[in-house]
Amino acid sequence: MPGYAIVLASGELEKLQAVANIASVAAASEIPIKVFATMDGLEAFDKDTVESKSFTGGPVAQAMLESEDIQVPLFTESFGRAKELGDFEVYACELSMDLLGKSLDDYVDLFDDVLGVSGFLTMAEDKQVIFV
Amino acid sequence: MSESEYEADVTIDSRGAGCPGPLMDLIGKIKSADAGMVFELQTTDSSSKNDVPEWVEKANHELLDIVDHDDYWSIFVKKS
Repeated sequence: MPGYAIVLASGELEKLQAVANIASVAAASEIPIKVFATMDGLEAFDKDTVESKSFTGGPVAQAMLESEDIQVPLFTESFGRAKELGDFEVYACELSMDLLGKSLDDYVDLFDDVLGVSGFLTMAEDKQVIFV
Repeated sequence: MSESEYEADVTIDSRGAGCPGPLMDLIGKIKSADAGMVFELQTTDSSSKNDVPEWVEKANHELLDIVDHDDYWSIFVKKS
């Protein structure tokens, strides 16, 4: 199975969680996954944002953050687990970082590298692309 | 409370975790296990009832039993 290339462009928590859940199960099931975090989707991985859990999102996102009965791991945890269990690579968009004057050190430690658009397209050549 | 005829080598308590937590717990444990080992996955997440068997079939392991304990389920899986 060639796997999926996921463009993660949204910083809304419910979308980040959905990507993390689907992609982590896929990676753990021998389906290769490449995630390209760009625009606000990359900013959600900012260390301070993750630390303070200051995400945007709708009612489900809110319920996830407040839920006591059902434990839902944050997308960053699911990403970490996916990397342990399978072929799961995460790349940060160079343009988004340049616009904000940031480096990989500003984000949680999940990224394999920084990538531009042509680099991503090359990586996605044999994969089905999912845009979120 | 119903019982299973199967005895687990490894019990994974994922009660309280939402989807896909229990499935990920099972995958994580089963990957590093020896063939023939039996796992009991305890879950309160109702979607696990369908989701776990589906994964088990795709991964070519064996679904032995699903036991309903009223407030949680035990899913028995044998690693192939």
